[in-house]
Amino acid sequence: MLKYILLRGLLALAVAFTVSLAAFFLLNIATDPAQAIAGENATEEVVQTIRDRYGLDQPIPVRYARWLGGVLQGDFGESYYWHKPVAELVAERAGVTITLALAALAVTIAISIPLGALAALNPNTWIDRMALGVAVSAQAVPNFWLGLIMIILLGVMLPILPISGDDSWRHFILPAFVLGASSVPAVMRLTRTGLIEVMGADYIRTARSKGFRGIGLLRRHALRNALLPVISVLAVQLGQKFGGSVITESIFAINGLGRLALESILGADIPTVQMLIFVFAIVFVAMNLLADILNAALDPRIRIA
Amino acid sequence: MKHFMKRIVGPSLVAAALFSVPAMAGPDDDTLRAAMSEEILNLDYNYTTKREYIILAQMTDTTLFDLDPVTQEYRPAVATGYTFVDETTLDITLRDDVTFHDGSVLSAEDVAYTYNWIIGDDSKSNASGTIGRWLEHAEVTAPDTVRFHLKSIYPLVLRDMAQRVMLRKAGTYDAGGTINRDAMAQKLIGTGPYKVVRFEPGQELVLERFEDFFGDKPAIKTIVVRNLPDTGTQQAELMNGSIDWMFKVPLDLAESLGATPLATHLSGPDLRVAFVVLDAAGNTDPKGPLTKVKVRQAINHALNKAEMAKFLIGGSAEPIHTACHPAQFGCDQSVRDYPYDPAKAKALLAEAGYPEGFDLELWAYRDKPVAEAVSADLTAIGINVNLRYVKLESLNQARAAHDIPAYIGTWGSGGTADTAAIARIHFSMETDRNLSGDEALAADVLAAEQTNDQEERAADYTKALGTIAEQAYWAPLFTYSANYLVSPHLDFPLDPDGLPRLQNSSWK
Repeated sequence: MLKYILLRGLLALAVAFTVSLAAFFLLNIATDPAQAIAGENATEEVVQTIRDRYGLDQPIPVRYARWLGGVLQGDFGESYYWHKPVAELVAERAGVTITLALAALAVTIAISIPLGALAALNPNTWIDRMALGVAVSAQAVPNFWLGLIMIILLGVMLPILPISGDDSWRHFILPAFVLGASSVPAVMRLTRTGLIEVMGADYIRTARSKGFRGIGLLRRHALRNALLPVISVLAVQLGQKFGGSVITESIFAINGLGRLALESILGADIPTVQMLIFVFAIVFVAMNLLADILNAALDPRIRIA
Repeated sequence: MKHFMKRIVGPSLVAAALFSVPAMAGPDDDTLRAAMSEEILNLDYNYTTKREYIILAQMTDTTLFDLDPVTQEYRPAVATGYTFVDETTLDITLRDDVTFHDGSVLSAEDVAYTYNWIIGDDSKSNASGTIGRWLEHAEVTAPDTVRFHLKSIYPLVLRDMAQRVMLRKAGTYDAGGTINRDAMAQKLIGTGPYKVVRFEPGQELVLERFEDFFGDKPAIKTIVVRNLPDTGTQQAELMNGSIDWMFKVPLDLAESLGATPLATHLSGPDLRVAFVVLDAAGNTDPKGPLTKVKVRQAINHALNKAEMAKFLIGGSAEPIHTACHPAQFGCDQSVRDYPYDPAKAKALLAEAGYPEGFDLELWAYRDKPVAEAVSADLTAIGINVNLRYVKLESLNQARAAHDIPAYIGTWGSGGTADTAAIARIHFSMETDRNLSGDEALAADVLAAEQTNDQEERAADYTKALGTIAEQAYWAPLFTYSANYLVSPHLDFPLDPDGLPRLQNSSWK
């Protein structure tokens, strides 16, 4: 198992470096970082000053080699845009994004698992159809649209929740709901399918014959097995929420990694974009690894296989 | 279900409502809350360039001179006056009551230090290029006098002193021999009407009226600038009363929200102009159609710029026929105009030897509807347009490589109401923006910057703008309009140069 984890860890690093290499070249080819930093109205003199200041007049391979050399020594460079070490910048913002991602995951779990269970316990009834309808609707609704609707409803018409910033836990309610809602359809459907399959199993019939019914049966016998695939999907979803919060963080003006990524891309802040891509890639691969480990831990058949 | 509603949902909503105390903007707490999409990261305008930073610097800093936005004249600010000892030596006298936000009094040493730092090798200030072009060095000649030694005659010296260099205490950036270019980036000590109370880069800036300011004190005590990247979020915050001011508002949004009692739509002028630049020099094709003046004139006649201004930009946008903004000094409006006339455009194309038109690659980077309107107008006279809508940085790279036959450009002149701010960057021979290749024209443009005589300068610009119009090097389009949405309680005056001055706001 340890060997497996180490190998996957090395793979994560390799993926992160490959992605960062592609990103570095694409960013540099597509834009002139000095011009992007200087802005639309800047004169050539200003652009040249910025180019000199950050060594942007060097060839792209030289700049990548310099970046890579720094990373191997633990130095991710200094942000062109924010004028501070990138590692410090990312560390400052990570807490907010982790909070948002975990809150969003909690929302996903709180909605999708009860809804999936409800649908599974009442297959082909109006409850099942309603639950599936919710899932289909949630899948069809884009994040930014849902965000704006929530802002209008709960921030403007019925102003009970703050709609921008990250000063308190209340600021996270709307964005966590919006970000969490996007994963509801997948998790809910998986829960429903898993439970329907499990509910037809012999051991459930045995449990019923012993007098177990309703929530008790679900909690003690069915959910443990039905949720195995759900757990691995949730781990992957957490990785997606970590890296995929760009739109949500921008709409709700949350100062996390998603918004940092957007600003850095718009400002052609290559050192920051590089580190973020690196971090997102590692988190994503790590979450996949975590899902595999969890599955192996929960289901002995996987370990044996 | 009833149990669920009674025990869970109801109390949750009540609790949320009870804990909900949004930060309300407005006259009650004498706090103006403004929203900006662009991140505010560095408060030192000596090291920044973008428009948001100009707006903030006007509040936190002062300069030697001030621009009167109505008359476009430079009036004393920290300086009390100036005297040209000769054409390249300028004496500036200073007020004795200018105080920094930390309580220290501004001296002549501070002024000389600031300017000498900007042009020094270690500075790498964003203002270095502009100031270094004309300033040799500054020296203190009396407790209240600084002498500026110029490299050459430079008529825009007062403009640069009024707009580009924010005054700093001596030693700010190199105290103890240690260079710190970010010394004022976050903990700004300026001399302006507002002082920085709190700054969280990328999130919020809190400014408070500086009671020891030497000039007219602002009416509003506190200004909070919040970074809200999404326009929709800004709109929602304005509607629920959490912010009072937003700018760069899309016209349709400004008009629809401004029609409600929740907000007031203000539309003012903007020095930004739009134009089509044509490769008359033949960089992309030495014998191409754009090298022929009749083709360029045909393009000018083909564009319905009045309708573009009215329907695509709106507000106070107007069509232009000059290579500058009509409000700028030297922008002579008597130069040749090319009224919208597609028939005449077609005839000119035929005269030039292109009765069936030709293929044209037209580049653009902003206002896609405008780019499409220009393409449609040109297509209507037979020019087969291949519109390449790209990011500004990509356009700049292609233009630097001389790969662009025509592009739709815009220029805001950094808020400077002088033709110099648009002419040199587009028509001197040292810029890749100049697709005319006209050396005589470049000489005329530069001549206007080699004299302090304003009449002479105006005449130089008349000559240069006349050449541009006759040769149709550009197809000028329109001026832009600045749209704002503000709280109905806020009185926000608009200035003709289009620069928002939040410090002049007051409550109704």
